[in-house]
Amino acid sequence: MTESDRPIFVPEPEVSSRSQMAYFMAYCARAAGIDFEDWLEFSKWSAASWRDFWRCFLAWAAPETEGTSEPVCAGDAIESAVFFPELRLSYTGNLLRSTSPDQDETVALIALDETGRRSEWTRAELRARVEAAARSLRALGVGPGARVAAIARNDDEAIVACLAATGLGATWSSVGPDQGHEAILARFKQLDPGLLLTVGSYPYQGSIRPLRDRLEAVVAGLPTARILVSLDRDLAAVSGLGREVVTLAELEAKGSSSEAFNWPRFPFNHPLFVMFSSGTTGAPKCIVHGVGGTLLEHLKEQRLHSDFKPGDRLLFTTSCGWMMWNWQLSALASQTAIVAYDGSPTFPALDSLWRAVGQERVSVFGTGPAYLQYCRDAAIVPRDCADLTRLRAIQSTGSVLGDKMYDWVAENAGSLPLQSISGGTDILGCFVLGNPLLPVFRGEAQSISLGIDLRSLKSDGGGEVGELICCNPFPSRPIAFFNDPDGSKFHAAYFSQNPGIWTHGDFVILTPRGGARILGRSDGVMNIRGVRIGPAEIYSVLQDFVEIRQAMAVEQLSPGEIGGSRLILLLVLREGVTLDRPLTLRIKKELSRRASMLHVPAVIAAVDDLPATHNGKLSERAARDAVNGRLPANLAALRNPGCLEQLRAHVDLGGA
Amino acid sequence: MTRADMRRLLIDWLDDKYHFGDAEAKIGDDEASFLDRGVLDSLGFVALVVYLEDKFRIKIELKLLNRENFDSVNKILDYVTAHGGGNA
Repeated sequence: MTESDRPIFVPEPEVSSRSQMAYFMAYCARAAGIDFEDWLEFSKWSAASWRDFWRCFLAWAAPETEGTSEPVCAGDAIESAVFFPELRLSYTGNLLRSTSPDQDETVALIALDETGRRSEWTRAELRARVEAAARSLRALGVGPGARVAAIARNDDEAIVACLAATGLGATWSSVGPDQGHEAILARFKQLDPGLLLTVGSYPYQGSIRPLRDRLEAVVAGLPTARILVSLDRDLAAVSGLGREVVTLAELEAKGSSSEAFNWPRFPFNHPLFVMFSSGTTGAPKCIVHGVGGTLLEHLKEQRLHSDFKPGDRLLFTTSCGWMMWNWQLSALASQTAIVAYDGSPTFPALDSLWRAVGQERVSVFGTGPAYLQYCRDAAIVPRDCADLTRLRAIQSTGSVLGDKMYDWVAENAGSLPLQSISGGTDILGCFVLGNPLLPVFRGEAQSISLGIDLRSLKSDGGGEVGELICCNPFPSRPIAFFNDPDGSKFHAAYFSQNPGIWTHGDFVILTPRGGARILGRSDGVMNIRGVRIGPAEIYSVLQDFVEIRQAMAVEQLSPGEIGGSRLILLLVLREGVTLDRPLTLRIKKELSRRASMLHVPAVIAAVDDLPATHNGKLSERAARDAVNGRLPANLAALRNPGCLEQLRAHVDLGGA
Repeated sequence: MTRADMRRLLIDWLDDKYHFGDAEAKIGDDEASFLDRGVLDSLGFVALVVYLEDKFRIKIELKLLNRENFDSVNKILDYVTAHGGGNA
């Protein structure tokens, strides 16, 4: 038995048998009259009989709705299917309701940041804040059809404002405060928002960073935003910009009332969030997600696959510009508390985030491979710096999680599942994720999301790696793209490559035991000597080089080479490391050994920085444009466009 | 350029392109056949010709690309030297 065949974590039977997944599986077995042999058979049934699955899940999860759940879905085409067209519900109402009397007094939200600020609210207190804000926002004209944009920190103000606005039927879009004004405008300008909410500053790594200069440019570029709402009472940041100004605190105070507030219910497919793609090609796509699809998908992922329960606490490190921020909000619907952490995870101490996880008695900690690798390299031992006895799972997403990190977590954080979850902004959820019934294998997401007919579309050359596709309708499919009346942009994004099938843009290996290995984006694919090379395979090898901090593989046109192009490997090395000949040869040798000769780069170049989007996602497309002498289509989408100049000028890459 | 220098360049090229630090071990003996020992395949020989022409400013006729002229370290260095490559 090889290491990859041996589980790194096996759930205790008494724990897994009490999981919501176990209960729901039994529920479906009774409903369908099928004695499922194992989870894999249940999973296959959920995808094949997806209408039955969603009918069962709606009945079992029992969100507050009105209308009828039939038909479950109108239409069979993924691109146009409409789920639960006769159902109405409130996203906010479902998040804030209590399903038992004691839940009103249970902590629902904790907000803390790197400066030491900490506050908490019970469910009743949070609900009162949101209702108060909603009363005032309604008076300002916020309702169905309105677009509300926010430059926000991951804190209570953002959560209150978002739930209030969406509860009234408006759509919410947010970005983190670290984005440049061009990037913010590239997103918000497309929406013509009537309201702009913003912070005036934000802390990061010990300093307070003001937004005033950026706000002047942003507000000037958003003529429809007639009202500016200060989320953090920093009136100086938003005054004098020619718009009506109010603070969220004032709105809450003005709207405070002891009267009951009834959240209006909207059609299942009423728009809820407008999310943005990373935007490395052209203007960012404005992806519209609906009320019901978002709630139902998140309930499924969080109650079944993550086993979120009343009394649990979720801390997911995210900014307001990443879909995981929206995802964490929905935890409230499972009666799970949100621990919103804002600021640097490594300030004031290198292990600050782990300390927060311990101090706040977090049940599920969400993070990404980069942070885990940082902890490993910084020799942080989480179980030594924090009491992790309440922690029962770590979820990781954002990039490919290497096999070695599973061992690191087991050795340094304790015996708990490290769950690789992956999906994205496009579906506001996950295609692959954890499972309380199953063991964890290194490098694998435990299971495919229930109800999803996920497949790997192999290339003509065969092999186990394929394009991740979804072959059945699912409720968290975007409703549409904003400003795409004929749907042509929407179609081009997901359906043009394989008509009738959702093509997600990831490489995947589906394992026989029902797990999945995500290998990175397929749109960064290279063609070297006529063979398609996925950069993820290269990164997988390089993750074992302690000398390398970041790596990026791109294709550079080179007429003298066989096939007309060559593979370029860009490396950001750790401090004190130089790219000498022994290191270069060792990298090449490992790539040839563990991947193939085709994966060996023609040139390896050390650089100071690699282009990344504001979400921190490395942009292979921008680097590829730079090394090929092209101007990247959307510089504003990058947080560090200056690094492209070094790529263009690098002698080893053909520059001057 | 001495013969030892030329030999070093050849080994470095083989390491950069194909053997990544193991070229010496792979070659074993400067008289040994590249093809027999798997030092280069046919595509590799073509790439070597391109490299030698560029590095030593010589012209190598592909019809001379055979075991008699090109199949060992010594044969390659002999050829390059005979065609004035050592003066590069």
